Amino acid sequence: MMSDAPSGSTRVPQDGLHVRHCGARSPHERAARSDVAVAGATHERDTRSDAEVTGAGPAGCEAAVASATPERDGRYDVVVVGAGHAGCEAAAACVKLGLRTALLTVSLADTAKMSCNPAVGGIAKGHMVRELDALGGLMGLVTDRAGIQFRMLNRGRGPAVWSPRAQCDKARYSVEMGRALDSLPGLARVAGVARRVRLERGRVAAIELDDGRSLRCRAAIITPGTFLNGVIHVGPRRFAGGRIGEFAAVALSECLAGLGLERGRLKTGTPPRLHRDSIDWEALDAQRGDEPPMPFSHWSDRLEVEQVPCWLTRTNAQTHRIIRENLHHSPLYSGRIQGRGPRYCPSIEDKVVKFAERDSHQVFLEPEGRDVPEIYVNGMSSSLPEEVQLGFVRSVRGLGRAEMLRAGYAVEYDFVLPHQLDRTLEVKRVPGLFLAGQICGTSGYEEAAAQGLVAGINAALRVQGREPLVLGRDQAYIGVLVDDLVTREHREPYRMFTSAAEHRLLLRADNADERLAETGFALGLITREQVERVRAKLSAIEAEERRLARIVVWVPATAAVGDAVREAPAPGAASDDGAGADAGPAPVTRKSDPAAAARALRALDLVARPDGSCAALASLGVETALPPAWAGCLEVRTRYRGYIERQQRVAARAAALEHLLLPVALWEEPLNGLSREAREKLARWRPATVGQAGRIAGVSPSDVAVLLVHARRFAIAG
Amino acid sequence: MPHDTIAAIATATGAAGLAVVRVSGPGALAAADAVFAGGAPLADAAANTLHHGWAVWPAAAVAGGAPARALPAQGRAPRPAGQDDVAAAKRRQAAGPPGEQSPPGRSGAAGERACTDNAGIAPGTRLDEVVVAVFRAPRSYTREDVVELSCHGGALCAARVLAALLAAGARLARPGEFTLRAFLSGRLDLAQAEAVADLIHAETESAHALAVSQLGGELSRRLAAVAEAVRDAAAEVEARVDFAEDVGGIEVPAHVVESVAAAEAALAALLAGSAWARTVREGVRVTLVGRPNAGKSSLFNALLGDARAIVTGQPGTTRDLVSEGLEVAGARVTLVDTAGLREGGDEIEALGVARARASLETSAVVLWVVDRAAPLAEEDRRIAERLAGRRVLVALNKSDLPPAVAPGEIGSLLDGVPHRAVAVSALRGDGIVELTGALAALLGTGRAGGLAGAVGNRRHADALERARAALARATGAARAGAPGEIVALELRDGLSAIGEVTGESVDEDLLDRIFSRFCVGK
Ligand SMILES: Cc1cc2nc3c(=O)[nH]c(=O)nc-3n(C[C@H](O)[C@H](O)[C@H](O)COP(=O)(O)OP(=O)(O)OC[C@H]3O[C@@H](n4cnc5c(N)ncnc54)[C@H](O)[C@@H]3O)c2cc1C
Ligand SMILES: Nc1nc2c(ncn2[C@@H]2O[C@H](COP(=O)(O)OP(=O)(O)OP(=O)(O)O)[C@@H](O)[C@H]2O)c(=O)[nH]1
Ligand SMILES: [Mg+2]
Repeated sequence: MMSDAPSGSTRVPQDGLHVRHCGARSPHERAARSDVAVAGATHERDTRSDAEVTGAGPAGCEAAVASATPERDGRYDVVVVGAGHAGCEAAAACVKLGLRTALLTVSLADTAKMSCNPAVGGIAKGHMVRELDALGGLMGLVTDRAGIQFRMLNRGRGPAVWSPRAQCDKARYSVEMGRALDSLPGLARVAGVARRVRLERGRVAAIELDDGRSLRCRAAIITPGTFLNGVIHVGPRRFAGGRIGEFAAVALSECLAGLGLERGRLKTGTPPRLHRDSIDWEALDAQRGDEPPMPFSHWSDRLEVEQVPCWLTRTNAQTHRIIRENLHHSPLYSGRIQGRGPRYCPSIEDKVVKFAERDSHQVFLEPEGRDVPEIYVNGMSSSLPEEVQLGFVRSVRGLGRAEMLRAGYAVEYDFVLPHQLDRTLEVKRVPGLFLAGQICGTSGYEEAAAQGLVAGINAALRVQGREPLVLGRDQAYIGVLVDDLVTREHREPYRMFTSAAEHRLLLRADNADERLAETGFALGLITREQVERVRAKLSAIEAEERRLARIVVWVPATAAVGDAVREAPAPGAASDDGAGADAGPAPVTRKSDPAAAARALRALDLVARPDGSCAALASLGVETALPPAWAGCLEVRTRYRGYIERQQRVAARAAALEHLLLPVALWEEPLNGLSREAREKLARWRPATVGQAGRIAGVSPSDVAVLLVHARRFAIAG
Repeated sequence: MPHDTIAAIATATGAAGLAVVRVSGPGALAAADAVFAGGAPLADAAANTLHHGWAVWPAAAVAGGAPARALPAQGRAPRPAGQDDVAAAKRRQAAGPPGEQSPPGRSGAAGERACTDNAGIAPGTRLDEVVVAVFRAPRSYTREDVVELSCHGGALCAARVLAALLAAGARLARPGEFTLRAFLSGRLDLAQAEAVADLIHAETESAHALAVSQLGGELSRRLAAVAEAVRDAAAEVEARVDFAEDVGGIEVPAHVVESVAAAEAALAALLAGSAWARTVREGVRVTLVGRPNAGKSSLFNALLGDARAIVTGQPGTTRDLVSEGLEVAGARVTLVDTAGLREGGDEIEALGVARARASLETSAVVLWVVDRAAPLAEEDRRIAERLAGRRVLVALNKSDLPPAVAPGEIGSLLDGVPHRAVAVSALRGDGIVELTGALAALLGTGRAGGLAGAVGNRRHADALERARAALARATGAARAGAPGEIVALELRDGLSAIGEVTGESVDEDLLDRIFSRFCVGK
């Protein structure tokens, strides 16, 4: 199965070239594509004949992609720099959209390396992985293949915030990502170090390598992660590097500065790794995966995986004392680290100082793989000297004899202030230059991957002269992420939270496919088969809703659902003729026990009750034919219908203002009436829409009102 | 987009002792100098100073350096909104430099009057003796240069001074434009800008006090405290959603539910005053109803202290609606006298009765006038039936005559409709003070705490009622064990409704709060 492209693409040899299916394209877009092929072609040619195109139907046009082999100097449509989590998705998206793409990275073995914790997903992050997946991204599929423990977080809460998370075998993750990339026809994976972005006539023309090679391209996506001017701190020691033992991309950072981009400095840290055999497992509490494990990807059917547990312990007064006594050794507290760290992933030093009243913090021990000895100590990120780290680690229950395989460390790196980017992640002042991942000031694999996808898609669309793709805040967490990045001021690494999404109930992990698959298909990111699968799921769920709306059950007024007595469905109730839920309950002709004070309920309303579910219905004899996952979707939709509809109305109202465009030339106006802060911020961010303007910190609603006045006057004058 | 210079009469029309003409904009001092003959040029005057002199007809337009423009022709049709902007913007493009004058815009009636028959006035002609106040940007109402010319009262003087300023190149301000500029310059927030409008329209003492309190930001201050509490609660709930593994514990802890409930109670208290506050601000209509000859018109006159309506001994005297303004304990009341309600009568009377009924239907407060000296009749029963759902005050009229209506008869007719009854004699003036007191009580005066911070604006009251309802749903959901994101949804709804009043944005700093209060992150 590994040889299949994750999107389900097929490789069909034809004229010696690989041809694969892609999404619908208008004639205009087709023209743009052949233009690409001609303009950029050296040894490839476009094999599509007009007959093929017209015969293929709207969604079945075929695009030819060269089976490029890595070469010394090359010509590509797009070059992606850095095969981290952002770079891999970016490259995959470009290939799927039919571009000749090179993915350049220092060492192929480090592809999609998990620099920090061995897990994918989690609250809000898991949502983004599902969204990526619906848009043809790789992360979900690769996680399903590399996962060793799968859990649904927040199960105790409402389904809108249920979030999938998987512990992964780190090495396996890299290998599986490499395989997924290799299965993409025509992707050139190139090893090397990018030194410079070359511009010609103000546009991106090539990526130059430090060994003198040069990869010509029409667009470049830069995803160097924590490597830009990376400096690693372990206690008093400091040395250059983006990850321990690796290089630091100094030239590339200077090149970006040379292009006029404003940079900032951030830091992040990682905890020590312990040897598996040195831990007293008996003293710890196990945290096990869900059975059966729920796959991340919409396209994975079932996971056959033997799951491994994670383990829990806690810090104590002695741990905190050791840390406090050694604070002066911390590069952070002695002022050697200038960059700002993430508040949500604080170092243990931070936790002890900032939450002095707490005498204990949780620690999770997570295996870095099935067959490796490294145990990741989640919750103890630190940049204190090695011997201090060992001291406080050993003060913790179960870790008394722990051996450290590697000390924790902090890394400081450059990032590019993301207000300099468009919502396509293209640098505003350099056409064809896209940035994604940690370089934009985010942190986390999922955030990086999400941006990689956005940058990849938009770089491809730009090369093809097609309309850009911008996902709305009410459409996807990915949309929230990009919008927050380009409109808000960031003083620390940005990480996704569900509370960042004002339309949270609409953006669920269970409906990512419903929200995005059609977009993915229209662009050519997922196959017809895939979108049909989503459509089938949706129509099955909707049909079942209609059916359940017309079945009446009797519930004794006082009893719990389980005691309800089922009433036979009215004639025709089981048919799916689309008569619809609006018809109301079918007339009931017979009551099982006329004496009982029973209440008639639509089966669907029973599901909507807090104690109701499809399973509860089954106990009443109303079986549903939906597979459990789909039945789950039906339950969410039904139970939260009122809230969901409310959010939809709010979203629609917000959209009216949200999408009101602000002309670029407006920023040349003096814009009287705005507060000084708002004027400065607006001039800097140059928001594209009124909605964006309103989200910029320092721009108050009255500023927005003023802006509306100006925009209107401007529009009239223009 | 630089502003041009605008001028208008800033005081209400009428026979006041003084009238103020205000000019604002970059050319305000120049325009004022062109029409002012005094000791020294205003251009050299210090900020916040007063100058005595004469207003004179100007030689030429000077404000902004533009030449004098033709004044609009008499009777010119008002132009649709927006055209001024087009014209102004086009000229800006053509002429380039900012400060360029626009011609008078959509002229209001005063402007038309002011701008008509000036053609023959010789430059230097004295128009009025004036005192001029000079305010310099940014320390002025609009944060622009502002000059206020106080003229003698009466429509004519101010109108001529205004015409002179327009001739000197200022543009006639559109309604509310000074306040708009104050808002645009950030001097006033939305609630304050609305308060200015209220202040201008305030006709009673209480309405004035209410507007002044709001202008001072009293309401915003009280709401800020409520919003703060809700935001903290939301942060707690959000933390439990986003950091399940770090924060853990129960979904919505009891102390959070309590603080939301307290916030809801605070909003409810603010809103409890809102009906009265709204009465104060918007005024309330009180319709007098009763059978013919009950003495409605007599009572109407007695309450007004003025023989406004015709009174005769003949039933069916009043035909049309007669209304007049009245201040009752600080609230603005519009009293409406109506035709006596009965069937039959001639065509005119029937039409009058129909109007009376319509007025009754649309009045929240009704003053039912009963002739106590005559037995209750079928008509009284019919009237009583129509009063349900309204605030009712019963005047038992003709108390100077022997009573023919037994105590309790009215109560049984009104059957459960809350009301108060006061015996009065419209003829002699007995009981009128008591009746007025009862009316004031019905309108809600005498509320403890006064009006400071009360919600006197319908838009605000609506928003705060939505906020209160959202908080009530939040506590309800939390108590029913609903998941955190649902409770959070309601809290956010509540916050954004409060934000509609205070003009604050809502969730910008939610994460800040989460991080400053919880230890999160593995
Ligand atoms: C010490 C440390 C601690 C971290 N802690 C956390 C944490 O606690 N929580 C969290 O969410 N995230 C953490 N991360 C961040 C996480 O690793 C990143 O968010 C994520 O990997 C970013 O993805 P990316 O694609 O942007 O870059 P990366 O995954 O870093 O990939 C960048 C790739 O680009 C390559 N590259 C760089 N420069 C060049 C060049 N000039 N030429 C060619 N190739 C180049 C690199 O070799 C690398 O393969 C941490 C990272 C580190 C290093
Ligand atoms: N004795 C006495 N006569 C009164 C009193 N009030 C009104 N009247 C007389 O009652 C008659 C009717 O008075 P109006 O005020 O015209 O009565 P109305 O209710 O307006 O009558 P319509 O307009 O015909 O419906 C007049 O002759 C008044 O002088 C009162 O308090 N005492
Ligand atoms: Mg009368």
